[in-house]
Amino acid sequence: MSGSAEPIPSPAQGVGPVYRSDKEKPTATVSKSISYENVHVLPQTPQLIALLTMIRDQNTGRADFIFYSNRIIRLLVEEGLNHLPVVEHPVTTPVGRSYLGVKFEGKICGVSIMRAGEAMEQGLRDCCRSVRIGKILIQRDEETCMPKLFYEKLPADIFNRWVLLLDPMFATGGSATLAVEILKAKGVPEERILFLNLIASPSGVTDFAQRFPKLRVVTAFIDQGLDEKK
Amino acid sequence: MESIGPVYSAATKSDRCYSPPWADLSIIGIAGSSGSGKTSVAMEIVKSLNLPWVVILVMDSFYKTLNPEQHAKAHANEFDFDSPDSIDFDVLVQCLRDLKRGKKVDIPVYSFVEHQRQAHTTPLYSPHVLILEGILALHDPRIMELLDVKIFVEADMDVCLGRRGEYLQFEDGQLSDRAYPVLRDVKERGRDIDGIIKQWFNFVKPSYKKFVEPQRSVSDIIIPRGIENKTAIGMVVQHIQRTLEEKSEKHSATLQELRRIASEEQLSPNVVMMPQTPQSTGINTILQNPDTEQVDFVFYFDRLAALLIEKALDFTSYTPKEVETPKNTFYNGLNQEGIVSAVAILRGGSCLETALKRTIPDCVTGRVLIRTNEANEEPQLHYLKLPPGIEQHSTVMLLDSQMSSGGAALMAVRVLIDHGVAEEKIIFVTCAAVQSGVKRLGAVYPHVKVIVGRIEEESEPRWMENRYFGC
Repeated sequence: MSGSAEPIPSPAQGVGPVYRSDKEKPTATVSKSISYENVHVLPQTPQLIALLTMIRDQNTGRADFIFYSNRIIRLLVEEGLNHLPVVEHPVTTPVGRSYLGVKFEGKICGVSIMRAGEAMEQGLRDCCRSVRIGKILIQRDEETCMPKLFYEKLPADIFNRWVLLLDPMFATGGSATLAVEILKAKGVPEERILFLNLIASPSGVTDFAQRFPKLRVVTAFIDQGLDEKK
Repeated sequence: MESIGPVYSAATKSDRCYSPPWADLSIIGIAGSSGSGKTSVAMEIVKSLNLPWVVILVMDSFYKTLNPEQHAKAHANEFDFDSPDSIDFDVLVQCLRDLKRGKKVDIPVYSFVEHQRQAHTTPLYSPHVLILEGILALHDPRIMELLDVKIFVEADMDVCLGRRGEYLQFEDGQLSDRAYPVLRDVKERGRDIDGIIKQWFNFVKPSYKKFVEPQRSVSDIIIPRGIENKTAIGMVVQHIQRTLEEKSEKHSATLQELRRIASEEQLSPNVVMMPQTPQSTGINTILQNPDTEQVDFVFYFDRLAALLIEKALDFTSYTPKEVETPKNTFYNGLNQEGIVSAVAILRGGSCLETALKRTIPDCVTGRVLIRTNEANEEPQLHYLKLPPGIEQHSTVMLLDSQMSSGGAALMAVRVLIDHGVAEEKIIFVTCAAVQSGVKRLGAVYPHVKVIVGRIEEESEPRWMENRYFGC
């Protein structure tokens, strides 16, 4: 299994719909693929790459940055929600046909790792109205250089909920690891945690996926260059 | 033995053609002397038909631009506006031929003040009936070939002259613009009646004998006494109504036939259905559950629509773009190329606009109102407003909440193509579609992409817009 942090450049490839010939597909750097079953990378479509390009460009203004990152976050949330359980729910449609549908089961809540994770709350609310959102503040301890919990405020019944853990940038994964430990200590089973993330480093996400094999990571992009906090 | 006539190459799938009801339009030519009452007859026909697709085209728009010498003559009442030479028949014939093929045309605008064609034009698109009205409407044999009904309005020449005099006193500024310059001259510059008389005897009357009157013998119907002749007008109106009914039947029959042909085919790879994930099934369940409150319906519809529009954007054009990140590293990304615009098929398409604005806040959005006759499933184009320069956009998304029979979709795609949008640049975005409708669209326009939330095999009438708007 590959996953160590050797500086292989991220793959550049033609992106676009399958029916287009390679010649017609513009080339761009796409996400590194990671072979862990619990890591889900959004499909590397040209449209997603264009959104990522906007937010990576240092010339992108703040308003545009917020707008385009919100669009990616909504896609992340939509993908993340697919991992929640559903139960069969047949309905009779307005045109009188029966439709074998499904119903969402289980309560959810968001937990943002302050302060970057708070930027993802709007996107979550766009997809899940009136969702409860807890907060965790983790900072680096000046003395030990280890991440340290400074503050948390979580729903009281969080152990009964599915948790969407929000942090856009994932480098070493120190804060996210501590956040998961806190959630587990509150009684949330590991398999009910979904970690939503915009850009991750391959080493960080590999360590994370190995450490918490039952938790699911949904990310838009895994790249090489992200080593430290942003 | 005769030589073989020209052999035209036929499209390989000629049975897959969609011809909208405005192709092969009926053209009625109304000729007659100046002041004979052509306009009144045309107006009366329009009034009696009482249909939104009848347009009067006045031949005055096709006057040739005058050179300075002719311009001076015109002001001295010495230019012959009644001669066929003064009209640009070539442009007129081209316009009529294009209209007959269902294309959009640009009608020139002629200024009587400057005696020249203006830079701007008036677009004309999709009339089912066109009334061509002009002194010499039946003059050019190329036009005669295109006319379905040829009318000659006859009035006594003395009455005509009298009418011209009346114009002077009663017509407002706008109409005198369309009337002869001599009239305007009298009205605005205080020329005396002699000017009119001069024009009349030098040009109008000789022209009448030479060019106008001969049209009488080639007309189908001669309407004496113009507007007062209710019987003749009634006959014309009945004839047009019958023709339109036949066309409407033919249109819906063609649509049915296309559906039959397409039904045996596979769905084209250009049809992209949203992946059936637990979330999308869950959203579809909520949307289709009659117990869902309207507020929830709108919320989940917007969510689904936003995903559809994001999906549609995968199919527009992108070019490589290297950007420098805030950390001064470089990233080989992509840049969306050109303008992505949208056209909402009213009313259903406007349900997707919230989601559209969430994804592309400043999206240029056109409108097209197509109503489907429930009895025979015939779509009818009622209103059209497209963004200027739409033919240059890299992608045009056609939005509709639902594709039922697919007739409206077919017509909307045809409208875009007629306005210069390339077929492969069109992406039809809809929340739900009936399979036969999607197949039919694909059979006629195989390069149009369809992004759809769910596809049903059985037919399903449109209902989602009623739920979304609550009425």
